[in-house]
Amino acid sequence: MKHLLATLILLGASAAQGATPPPEAATCQACHGAHGEGVVDGDKPRLAGQSAFYLDKQLRDFASGARDNAIMSAIAKGLNDQTRAKLAAYYAALPVPAALEHRAPTAAQAERGHQLAIEGAEGKRVQACNNCHGPDGSGVALSAPALAGQLAPYLAAQLKSWQQGSRKNDAGNLMSSVASRLDDADIAAVTAYYASLE
Amino acid sequence: MAQRLKEVDVVVIGVGMVGSILAKELAAAGYKVVGLERGSTRFTVPEFQSPGIHDELRFDVRKALMQDNTREPVTFRNNTSQTGLPVRRWESFLPGTGLGGSMVHWNGQTFRFQANDFELATRTRERYGKGFLDPDLTIQDWGVTYDELEPYYDRFEYLLGTSGKAGNLKGQIQQGGDPHESPRSRDYPTPPQKEHYSGALFRKAASSLGYHPFPQPSSNLSQPYTNPEGLKMNTCVFCGFCERYACEHYAKSTPQTFILPVLLANSNFELRTGCQVQRINLDSTKKRATGVTYIDNAGRELEQPASLVITSLFAINNIRMLLLSGIGKPYDPSTGKGVVGRNYAYQTMSTVASFFDEDVIINPFMASGASGTMINDYAGDNFDHSGLGFIGGAFIGAVNTNGRPIQYHPTPPGTPAWGKGWKEAVVKHYNHTVMFSLHGSSTSQKQNYADLDPTYKDAWGQPLLRITFDFPKNDLKMAEYVTARGVEIGKAMGAKQVVGSPRKGPYTTQIYQTTHNTGGTVMGNDPSTSVVNRYLQSWDVPNVFVIGASAYPQNASWNPTGTLGALTYWVADALKNKYLKNPGHLVST
Repeated sequence: MKHLLATLILLGASAAQGATPPPEAATCQACHGAHGEGVVDGDKPRLAGQSAFYLDKQLRDFASGARDNAIMSAIAKGLNDQTRAKLAAYYAALPVPAALEHRAPTAAQAERGHQLAIEGAEGKRVQACNNCHGPDGSGVALSAPALAGQLAPYLAAQLKSWQQGSRKNDAGNLMSSVASRLDDADIAAVTAYYASLE
Repeated sequence: MAQRLKEVDVVVIGVGMVGSILAKELAAAGYKVVGLERGSTRFTVPEFQSPGIHDELRFDVRKALMQDNTREPVTFRNNTSQTGLPVRRWESFLPGTGLGGSMVHWNGQTFRFQANDFELATRTRERYGKGFLDPDLTIQDWGVTYDELEPYYDRFEYLLGTSGKAGNLKGQIQQGGDPHESPRSRDYPTPPQKEHYSGALFRKAASSLGYHPFPQPSSNLSQPYTNPEGLKMNTCVFCGFCERYACEHYAKSTPQTFILPVLLANSNFELRTGCQVQRINLDSTKKRATGVTYIDNAGRELEQPASLVITSLFAINNIRMLLLSGIGKPYDPSTGKGVVGRNYAYQTMSTVASFFDEDVIINPFMASGASGTMINDYAGDNFDHSGLGFIGGAFIGAVNTNGRPIQYHPTPPGTPAWGKGWKEAVVKHYNHTVMFSLHGSSTSQKQNYADLDPTYKDAWGQPLLRITFDFPKNDLKMAEYVTARGVEIGKAMGAKQVVGSPRKGPYTTQIYQTTHNTGGTVMGNDPSTSVVNRYLQSWDVPNVFVIGASAYPQNASWNPTGTLGALTYWVADALKNKYLKNPGHLVST
């Protein structure tokens, strides 16, 4: 599976992009880390290894206002389509860094998180996250982002945004439907679980 | 000796779409209801989750959600000169089993029939004259009209959250909807699903020929929806695994999404699974049912007494339940007398394949089971049949329900059936072909019927149902005519090669066509030509109601589920407002 995934990620990246960061990446590195690893105690996600399609779409959505974030909107508006695509491809091709230091899930969180990820919760009418986000949250190149190894505080902040309606740039309001049925304990569990995956 | 259980008000045989809706209505009205389901419980979580639910070999090829035909097959023959043999592998049609019934594996295509369909015999005579019909045909009126059912269609669509576009709102034709539909009281609860590229090609071509394309009504939902039962459903993700599969997303409307959580929370209802009902028991007068006898998973024989028995099985199993119970006179094709098993009908399915060059990218895998674009210009009686020599018609639609790897590989005629040449053709055409579905009506005729097999028995020692069926000449003529119209649309799309495949006889159980078996316990106003009255109440045993597509006197040009949902609520009202207040015949004989 990992081999297949790596192939998919490489396919997502433009062949022209090597390990050398494009000059515009300096802006990204200021917040998302020198290697796109993200910042563990903030809302700055890991970018390395995320699908190029997803990253490019997010940059376009920040630019158009479809996704709301003051800092990112200002940055994305300053980039043209070509540069956005180039940055997305660059970060997609970066190796996924070893999990950053973070708080490991409690045993109860790991169990609940794993259940929500692979099975869902009938009582809440929540389907498995992995249905769309791929086996072990590894992402599906042209639709849903990878969750595995993503930073828990970022994932939790996003689930809250979907819940509250401040984020809504998906197809068919799928994420707001799911997030609205999760409580705080579910969110803590499922985000800690995904963050702990390689 | 069967163990006798405590009597209840109502026993429901089969907890699928019909059973779960009626059980909910009656339990909510205060009646003690027991639901007997031969299969097992199953819910969206955990049973329907990915990746297991996308196992094409298990569900598509090996038919994991279907009635177990190692224990309970049907026998089949084309005509009475043949010997019926057991169908040990489902292909032509796929009856489901388990909680939620066959609806768990449906495609979500949610149609209404037209006003004309419910009065087909009368209106055909009026429009085309008495001698127009083939004398073998036994089409008849339903005993209920579209106008009577309209509020119940509406209720069913709002239960499901069906996504579509009205074409006729209270008589006002609506741009972009189906102008041929009979008037509806309000629009669909949710807007249509997104159109895929094959639908867009079809729409342009059909418009250019003067037809009236519209988005197929779908119960794979276009947006989040909360139904009148308070249950929340999600948006369909176009994964392309609807028919033959269960939905992992709470996006395809099934009893699991639209009613079961409410039913199971009601303490007036008790669900029992693994219960194989053997028969409905009658008292010595044979005019009153006393309950049912079933065998549970432990092999125990149990008798469940009840004041009211509802049989809500898949169409062919409703017929068998009545025959096993001795309710109603079995049909005899040699005399034309008798009613149970009479007017068994089906659906006359044809296809048109349009092959494009490689610059036309179809992406057939991005699909839901009902995200097509279609026309009704050649469905039902929407066109003049004078001089054509047949009645009925078909909807024509670009209905790409999937692009699954094992089963979906359109290739043009002349392609080798296997080997290198076949593989090359599959690769060449997979992503550049538009498939039309031509979903044709099915007339009933004297020779087609169902009865108990004289030889073969099920795992419990009961005779199997025997189906005797072949396509009426009327329907093959219809398929020929409508397929030619489909080919014209394919050519107007600019396809390089267009191949029409009108349905041909003889009917075979070995090729998948559709799971739209109808008739055999038909409804009507005349006890000599119907099994149940207009409220689906047995003429012979008035505390037995028989609800399913088995009630259709003949089948129309559309998928039967929407009409069955409407009939279910129609019966629910009749039970609550009439029958249960004063049990007895709702229609005098």
